[in-house]
Amino acid sequence: MLRAELLKLTTTSASKIALGVGAGGLILTQITSVTMLPALASGRFGSIPDGLADEIPSLDLATAGGQLAALSPLGASGGSGSLGIAVIAIVLMGVLAGTGDYRFGGIVTTALAQPNRIRILTAKAAAAGVAGLVTGAVFAVVSAATLLGTLAITGMPVAVEPSIIVAVLARGVLAIACLTIVGLAVGILARSQLAGVLVMLGILILELVVQSIAQLIVGSLPVWAQLMPLALTDALIGTSEAGLSLPAALTGLLSLTAIALTLAAVALRRRDI
Amino acid sequence: MTTHEPVPIQARRLTKRFGSGAAVDDVSFTVSRGRIVGLLGPNGAGKTTTIRMLLGLAAPDGGDALINGHPYAALRSPLQAVGTVLDAGGLHPGRSGRQHLRIAAAQAQMPTSRVDDVLAEVDMTQVADRPIAGYSLGMRQRIALATALIGSPNILVLDEPANGLDPAGMHWLRLRLRAFADAGGAVLLSSHVLPDVQQIADDIVVMQSGRVVADVTLADALVEQHGDLERFYLELTGHGSEVR
Repeated sequence: MLRAELLKLTTTSASKIALGVGAGGLILTQITSVTMLPALASGRFGSIPDGLADEIPSLDLATAGGQLAALSPLGASGGSGSLGIAVIAIVLMGVLAGTGDYRFGGIVTTALAQPNRIRILTAKAAAAGVAGLVTGAVFAVVSAATLLGTLAITGMPVAVEPSIIVAVLARGVLAIACLTIVGLAVGILARSQLAGVLVMLGILILELVVQSIAQLIVGSLPVWAQLMPLALTDALIGTSEAGLSLPAALTGLLSLTAIALTLAAVALRRRDI
Repeated sequence: MTTHEPVPIQARRLTKRFGSGAAVDDVSFTVSRGRIVGLLGPNGAGKTTTIRMLLGLAAPDGGDALINGHPYAALRSPLQAVGTVLDAGGLHPGRSGRQHLRIAAAQAQMPTSRVDDVLAEVDMTQVADRPIAGYSLGMRQRIALATALIGSPNILVLDEPANGLDPAGMHWLRLRLRAFADAGGAVLLSSHVLPDVQQIADDIVVMQSGRVVADVTLADALVEQHGDLERFYLELTGHGSEVR
């Protein structure tokens, strides 16, 4: 079943387009955030009016913190507080993997091949997880290459230990795999492609709105707001100081993924096909 | 010494309700080895719901749906036991016929080489690498049939398999199903096209308003109405039909 599910993902254009758009968007994001904005802010590139340099939101690549922020496989501006194109591409890839079988009736063939609906979901989740890992690896290479290339061009040294770089990238890849599976679960629950996409985007946008409001009211991000998908992803990648600890973020994101899969499993078991 | 082989397809007092009404009500029939059974009935008679219960896609509210003596869900390798054509065959227009069959082969736990075999069987080798979006209805139906055959099953369940087939395709389907049944296979096919059923089926089961109103051999049906299957069917499914 896993092989069949992987073949489904690799023989349709939806996953390839999602990967391409995500990687292309990430390249643009990284070049802008990691290469261009710091160069503009430092005056190495272009000419900007006096006093405006301080207003440019740029990473300080001379510091370990700045380099870590640039390493995120979801983009230097990704994670909590923003919704990058890489995140959108990943979750939509998951949603499309979940709805694809319903759209053209392939779910019937799938259910005929494997009457046990839980095994169907397991195979789909494993295939989506593999797709997420591959996508995450591509995104990690893009982020690392952009940072290292920028450092080489500007002559700045790498301020982060290689083991820490590898750990950040690995956690990013894991987070991307989890988000892909969450997208899959939403797709299976929604069945309709349009409904799945709207629900998934709605969840992510709602998180940003809720976090903004919570921060305005409380002054800091309450714990419950840190248990939402983007916040957990950001905390797991660990490129910013804020948020949960790494073990808590890992537990939280894995739990969120498990809850989403459980809901999808209940729906899949109860439905006639 | 006799052996007691399980009946390939058996519906026993099957019932399925949607809301307050019964879509399928106390339906019983069997499909034996070597037989082709035509499942007939007007739209909404419960044919597709009955087939879906036999295949484990819908849960019955009562009765048993058995394949080789077991519920479909209990079959160890379902696609190697039952080949199925349902709806549009689950064909993704963005895939080629060959890609679709490679997925089906993986699902049926069959070697990829089986794809070439079934493509040749349905005479689709030449166009197998073209996207399904460009296939005619008849070509899609052939790929759907190839999907049903990929697991080398000994039971076929076909919902309107003749849809879109040209006369040559229909002739091929008739010969293929006859050879399949003569080799010991069992075939359940639903259809609206009575002349096709008359040429293919050994037995007919007629459904009306969720109930079986006739379960007879084709020969008996034809004898009853002087060789006119359409008249036999309309008498059962027209106004004032009664359970036989």
